[in-house]
Amino acid sequence: MRRSDMWRYRIGVLALMAVYVALMMLEWPYARATQDNGGKIALALLPVVPVLGTIGLMGWRVLRSDELEQRVHMVALGVATGVVAAATLVGGFLAAAHAVALGGDALIWVFPLQAVAYGLARTVLLRRYGGRGC
Amino acid sequence: MRELREAKGWSQGELGEALDVSRQTVNAIETGRYDPSLPLAFRIARLFRKPIESIFDPGD
Repeated sequence: MRRSDMWRYRIGVLALMAVYVALMMLEWPYARATQDNGGKIALALLPVVPVLGTIGLMGWRVLRSDELEQRVHMVALGVATGVVAAATLVGGFLAAAHAVALGGDALIWVFPLQAVAYGLARTVLLRRYGGRGC
Repeated sequence: MRELREAKGWSQGELGEALDVSRQTVNAIETGRYDPSLPLAFRIARLFRKPIESIFDPGD
């Protein structure tokens, strides 16, 4: 990936994450308190918008990458999908058996878990190919 | 590929720019950690004006 594209990607992700944090701190508390159902849905889903933007940027980054980078992205995504699938399956069975109490809020952690697993897998793969792992 | 690049006096980054790949990809190819695709191998051969089989050994 070209350096200028990498900077565009990083600035875009930072800006979107800043919007996400601001929404979670300033707007999200009103989502639970709002009585109107339409307003509640709108307020609850508003923080999803910058996250969807981030996912779009990640796709843009993969498409701008060269063949080795794309291979690393795809393998890391596969590993992350496996980690998330295993974790949600374990959590789902434990919750179904009432061994642990998991509410719908737990779904919020699926994307962060996927992102962390993806980042770790990518770091390991880049080191394997002689990169710096960042 | 490293010898050909050094003979031209190019850095890995400069070769990466000429091939439209990252410096890390050039490094991975030079150190034998990654085998390039056929289209990329042809681009490398064209850039150095060498037959593809003189740069890449299928036995490696």
